[in-house]
Amino acid sequence: MPKHYRPPGKKKEGNAAKYITRSQAVKHLQVSLPLFRRLCILKGVFPREPKKKVKGNHHTYYHTKDIAFLQHEPLLEKFRNIRAYDKKVNKAKAKKNRDLAERLLTRRPNYTLDRLIRERYPKFTDALRDLDDCLTMVHLFASLPALESEKIQVKRIHNCRRLSHEWQAYICRTHKLRKTFISVKGIYYQAEVEGQKITWLTPHTLQQVLTDDVDFNVMLTFLEFYETLLAFVNFRLYHSINVKYPPILDSRLEALAADLYGLSRYFAANSSATVLGSQAVSSSGAEQIDITKDGTQPDESELRLAQLQHQLPSNEPGTLMHLVEDASCEDEDDEETRECKTLFKNKKFFLSREVPRESLLFVIPAFGGVVSWEGEGAPFKEADQSITYQIVDRPTQGHIFLSREYVQPQWVFDCVNARIILPTDAYMVGRVPPPHLSPFIDNEAEGYVPEYAEMIKRLQAAARKEVLPIPGAGKEDLDDPQNLLVEGIISRTEANEVAERKQKMLALENQYHNELQLELQGVQYSSSVSNMNKQSSVEDTEAWEESLPDMQQIAEDTTTMSKVVMSRKKRRLYEAMQIGKERKRAHVNLLKERKQKIEAAQGSEKS
Amino acid sequence: MAKRETPRLDSLNKKKKEKEKKEESSKHQQEENVDDKQLHQGFSGDEEELTESESDGPVLSEDEDYVSADGDDSLHNDPSEENEGGSSESHQGIEESDSSEDEVAPRNTIGDVPLEWYKDEEHVGYDIAGKKIKKKVRQDKLDSFLASADDSKNWRKIYDEYNDEEVELTKRETRLIRRLLKGKAPHAEFDPYAPYVDWFKWDDAKHPLSNAPEPKRRFIPSKWESKKVVEYVRAIRKGLIKFDKPKEEPRVYHLWGDDSSSTEKAGHGLAYIPAPKSKLPGHEESYNPSLEYIPTQEEINSYQLMYEEDRPKFIPRRFLSLRSVPAYENAVKESFDRCLDLYLCPRARKKRINIDPESLKPKLPSRKDLKPYPVTCYLEYKGHKGAVMSIATEASGQWIASGSIDGSVRVWEVETGRCRRVWEIGEAVHYVAWNPLPGLHILAVSSGQDVLLLNTGLGNDEEQKNIEQLLRIETPGSMDDTGNTTSIVSWVQDDKHGGIRLKHFKTVSSVEWHRKGDYLSTVMPAGESRAILIHQLSKKLTQRIPFKLHGLPVSSIFHPTRSIFFISTKKNVRVYDLLKQKLVKKLETGLREVSSIAVHPAGDNVIVGSREGKLCWFDMDLSSQPYRILKCHPKDITNVAFHHSYPLFATCSDDCTAYVFHGMVYSDLNQNPLIVPLEILRGHSSTNGRGVMDCKFHPRQPWLFTAGADSVIKLYCH
Repeated sequence: MPKHYRPPGKKKEGNAAKYITRSQAVKHLQVSLPLFRRLCILKGVFPREPKKKVKGNHHTYYHTKDIAFLQHEPLLEKFRNIRAYDKKVNKAKAKKNRDLAERLLTRRPNYTLDRLIRERYPKFTDALRDLDDCLTMVHLFASLPALESEKIQVKRIHNCRRLSHEWQAYICRTHKLRKTFISVKGIYYQAEVEGQKITWLTPHTLQQVLTDDVDFNVMLTFLEFYETLLAFVNFRLYHSINVKYPPILDSRLEALAADLYGLSRYFAANSSATVLGSQAVSSSGAEQIDITKDGTQPDESELRLAQLQHQLPSNEPGTLMHLVEDASCEDEDDEETRECKTLFKNKKFFLSREVPRESLLFVIPAFGGVVSWEGEGAPFKEADQSITYQIVDRPTQGHIFLSREYVQPQWVFDCVNARIILPTDAYMVGRVPPPHLSPFIDNEAEGYVPEYAEMIKRLQAAARKEVLPIPGAGKEDLDDPQNLLVEGIISRTEANEVAERKQKMLALENQYHNELQLELQGVQYSSSVSNMNKQSSVEDTEAWEESLPDMQQIAEDTTTMSKVVMSRKKRRLYEAMQIGKERKRAHVNLLKERKQKIEAAQGSEKS
Repeated sequence: MAKRETPRLDSLNKKKKEKEKKEESSKHQQEENVDDKQLHQGFSGDEEELTESESDGPVLSEDEDYVSADGDDSLHNDPSEENEGGSSESHQGIEESDSSEDEVAPRNTIGDVPLEWYKDEEHVGYDIAGKKIKKKVRQDKLDSFLASADDSKNWRKIYDEYNDEEVELTKRETRLIRRLLKGKAPHAEFDPYAPYVDWFKWDDAKHPLSNAPEPKRRFIPSKWESKKVVEYVRAIRKGLIKFDKPKEEPRVYHLWGDDSSSTEKAGHGLAYIPAPKSKLPGHEESYNPSLEYIPTQEEINSYQLMYEEDRPKFIPRRFLSLRSVPAYENAVKESFDRCLDLYLCPRARKKRINIDPESLKPKLPSRKDLKPYPVTCYLEYKGHKGAVMSIATEASGQWIASGSIDGSVRVWEVETGRCRRVWEIGEAVHYVAWNPLPGLHILAVSSGQDVLLLNTGLGNDEEQKNIEQLLRIETPGSMDDTGNTTSIVSWVQDDKHGGIRLKHFKTVSSVEWHRKGDYLSTVMPAGESRAILIHQLSKKLTQRIPFKLHGLPVSSIFHPTRSIFFISTKKNVRVYDLLKQKLVKKLETGLREVSSIAVHPAGDNVIVGSREGKLCWFDMDLSSQPYRILKCHPKDITNVAFHHSYPLFATCSDDCTAYVFHGMVYSDLNQNPLIVPLEILRGHSSTNGRGVMDCKFHPRQPWLFTAGADSVIKLYCH
């Protein structure tokens, strides 16, 4: 009898009963493969790795319970209905009965995914935890062109845009953005919502490259789920800050592609009316002042908004209200939010045309700044004297206002990551900015700290030690903290350098001591041997000399000997760990080597 | 005529059947008009109602008509005729007929009877109301001629005998007549040569399939259709059917409204395994990374030589300003890959170990506490010209013997390294073994097919005498008594070296003494059933072991205290009780090829070295499986050895190293043996791929002798 023989009538047991292959599952459910995929995507069913693969290594295995779960899904029946209905339509079309086909199409059965979302994410935090992919996908599709050949409809793209803007508006509004990073792939953002760190990637706002080797059906199924999920998440988030969802936007701003700004205005209008639940931004207050300055046009839209909301905010009292609320709401936020909120406080930014507007419109208000841009619908014009920074990304700047500083966009992102206002010298117009570093990397753990990271660290330390204790003096004095900072930095850097030198000396000393100790040990046992064996002094010295270069050998021996006694499993694990460590070390060494080469090249150029 | 009457008659039939009976003519007409009536009905239910209501009026007037018909005539005639005209007009617009009678209503109602019948009467017939139509007064011919001559239109006038009236033809009628006279179609607009239109649907058929007349139902509106229409109309009126339903927007609501009820477990009892989050970007992915993150051109070129899997997925690039950053070409592709990972990748929960690798190392007692053990090379014994294959220590520890591949056996003094004596055997020496008895300085040497028992010449005179007596074979005749064994081994006096030569029939690989010094066993790996022999020195006897051998024997060894005999084959070690003559135990090593074996002096533990560099420690009380397998050497283990008194054992290998272990065996049976690696002894150099050939411990001191393939013997001391 073969080993795995199962007599007829006896049930399968173990892994053979628990797992079935994909083709078995498809057959069992009586669906087509594309439909099965779709169901799996929507229900979040994934293949599992059985301990023992009964059917072989090249199959994917699903748990039978997962498949039973799919089988009882009402959506499956719905899909079948839709399929039958589509057959009707096709039949009508084939018979050239266009009226019937159109009439049928208007009454196509539809399905909703809200139940699935509730099922997959029983708690809101679960949904937030899984939001990374959702946001990345929605943001990607928001920047894709509509493709009829790939069934990417304009409507969906617009929906994606709307959802992404709503999300950004919420994050911006509640100052939950923590880290940003401009990469070659796009711009990464990290926000912290309800204790969950959510990271997403937005592509650069350019025409995206479409490749052929992508199955858009799969992506669109994912997108379908993600759109619904994000809508519900947005609803919940808006609900939590007492703002009505879906927001009604000023169509004029929408037409100008300033959705985000429109949303922020919407928030402002909403919160000014609801006294209780608004975590007001200083920006909204400032905005409203500007509105009064600017004249009629924005007022109209404001009014419109108010009418839409059946609320009539009066501007000047509203600002006062905000200020009051600002003070009251402050203690609700945690430390970090407060820090984020005040980073760009009392600073006005102006964006030039060539600057990626959407991302900066998102980032700057999220850290408490006030932004305007060049173009219609902007809250204030370039000529405004109170602008403190103008973000410029061009080789030369024609007209220069002396009252403001001209910086490259990277400065904003670096400031946000460092949580301090960095000196602007390196980011001036036409200069090559200093390297942009990832905020997601723990440099110490990685083993290599880039030069600029060290500098930023020094600046941070300086800011913390010297600038922060002052605020008792009043924030008005700090409108130009740059000078203070720079002074602080200079002194701090000196101190830091001294400290570092000391540390290095200490490290060297330690090393020396260690070596000495090791040597001493060597002496001990060589001497002990000599004592015991009554060796001649000549041999003793020989042994002593031999033992010196053998230090490394001895260390190696100890590791090999301890490896000998380890069980096989542990030994393999240990070796794998060593390999990983070695790889890391090699990477760091490579970086250091390159760095040295570059420095050498620069040195030779200078001389 | 029929047409004009239709509605009236309909209502009449329904309402007043008595009056109908009175009228004879109407009965005929009713039957004729069934078709018309049904046609009329078929338009729609609504229309039917409409016509019904409309026809109410004339019905009433008709009643009056009949009432008046009994009395005088002319007074009531006019209104009825007007009514009739109105109703007929309303119908004429709807229905049309081809019959020529309809065009001009004849006044006379006599039908097709010869007019001669009325020749003598005052009247020519009856009008529709049944009154007599009086004949006109005849004009005389002259008058009529004159009238005709005066009247220019006379030529148009025709006398209608039937109705007794003069009819004036219109221009159109004259034209018609003219055309008829010419033999043309009466209407000018009729085109006799119009292009032929084939109304028949051929549907790929050559001939009309059926020449059956068109069925009636083709001309009748469907009853069910009309019912359906009524149904729809009613539904629309009631508001059951709505048009232009507004498109429903996807509804968003507070999904996670009550988190209290959401504590129930998600789904179906299977653990949800969340997908791992995608990796966060590092410095190198920045649009403007530090310079050191950007690979040089050579490095990028070298990526091409790598395997595709090893190639880095992302090559860092540097852009000098944000405006010059292009769209990422793989954005969609990467997103798609992520999607694939999410729904296609099998997920399993893997425990990620985040520990210090040093913590994996077992906690061993400090080596300092386990002293003394051999650490450094103290002495070298040089003199052999070939690889030293084997060494043996004398029981007192004053001497060692060594056999080399150059065919010499040497005896050395341990303390000084002086070579005491040399025998030139002539053949490569594989094994030397010193008799374990302190007073019996006999050396067993295996070289080729022979085993030599040599007198080393050590010890005092008394001992020498004893030895010489032992090593003398009395009479060659006595050999015959040994019987069948003579064919295996012959005991021959060797005068050249002063000893006994045991001639075997195959190469002898190892020789081992029994602890009492009287017996010795030899192993011939190629000897098959007679591979292992036991010789008795005092009786000069040789005997086979009474056990069947399984596999190729590698070595044999006597138990240090009891009469137990270990035979190791390539795979297993078998333990035999020599007294009871039976198998005690079979130790399964699980190794590929056993090379050497050593027994702990207490006798319960055995170590086995293998050619794959593994060492097995067997605790015989515990099980027949190894208690511990140590992978210590990368190359073959050539030999293993236990120390007689110290808890030490050593292995030596072809990788030119010897390991010294602490191997403590406790008398408490519950406590497992403690094995601690102590030292790696180096010093030998590799020759012909061989390293250290043999290792032996000093019998008293914690010293280790190693014999190398580089023809040197080394002494390691503590």
